[in-house]
Amino acid sequence: MNEYHGCEMPEDLFYDLDYVWVRPEADGTLTIGVTDPAQALSGRLQNARIKKVGTHVDAGRHVATLESGKWVGGVPVPFAGMIVARNEALLENPHLINIDPYGDAWIARVKPDDSQHALDDVKTGAEAIAALEAWIKRYDVQCMRCPD
Amino acid sequence: MKSIEQIMRHDHERLDVLLEAGAKAVRKGLWHEAADLLQRFRHGMVDGHMMVEETMLFPAFEAREGNDDLPLTALLRKGHRDLRVFFLEMEEAIGARDAEEYSALLSTVQAILKHHDAKEEKELYPHLAEALSDQGQLAGQTILSRQETAALPGRSQKFDV
Repeated sequence: MNEYHGCEMPEDLFYDLDYVWVRPEADGTLTIGVTDPAQALSGRLQNARIKKVGTHVDAGRHVATLESGKWVGGVPVPFAGMIVARNEALLENPHLINIDPYGDAWIARVKPDDSQHALDDVKTGAEAIAALEAWIKRYDVQCMRCPD
Repeated sequence: MKSIEQIMRHDHERLDVLLEAGAKAVRKGLWHEAADLLQRFRHGMVDGHMMVEETMLFPAFEAREGNDDLPLTALLRKGHRDLRVFFLEMEEAIGARDAEEYSALLSTVQAILKHHDAKEEKELYPHLAEALSDQGQLAGQTILSRQETAALPGRSQKFDV
């Protein structure tokens, strides 16, 4: 696990180099969540709204909206597709994102319209980690692990 | 002549009124009026307010600070990117006559604008006159001319909010 300013960034995920990580699943769907530095920048999340299963989202549109006491923003999908699952636990407890952004706090699973090119606009590996470190520096983020 | 700080603050208020007028039209089921008001809000916000900030005000502030990668302007630019997508989604909700979706989006946009505008008014605008070589005259005139365009005859600025 790569770590920078206390922020964790798994090297095997794909990133939009802003807020979002993407993980390819065995069934061809793609799981989406927000990164550790993004949750740190957002602050303690108090509200999450995730689009319903069965909704089609175009590339760049929001699959979810998150809100903390100091920040409100959307979670964009880097590719077009149909939402096939959403994390209902986040609707009850959005703070989970601050605790386990890459695990229990995944946001949605999306079946891409074009699986061949769904990952064209996201990066992975060393290139992604270097860009995320620049992001952390730009926004002056320091990650701290939430205890609960 | 008003200062650039006063002009930008007033533009926030003007756009808030337009957004709320559109919300009222949706609540009344006046979808055509809601679409027109949203279009005017979006035009004023994206083609006027954000355009002036991104092309004139942010670069001047960054030059004053001697850093074109400032956390403040990076955050404000990200806010603009998010808002542009939300405006499109609001337009789609009006097109689909989906009052529930529109209401959720409106609530999100108003919350974003509350944080975003407060940050600009506190951390950016007070420094603009000093950062801009003409004290913000050109930027101010650009914003004011956009406001005049939005208030052309037949496009009344009076809203029953």
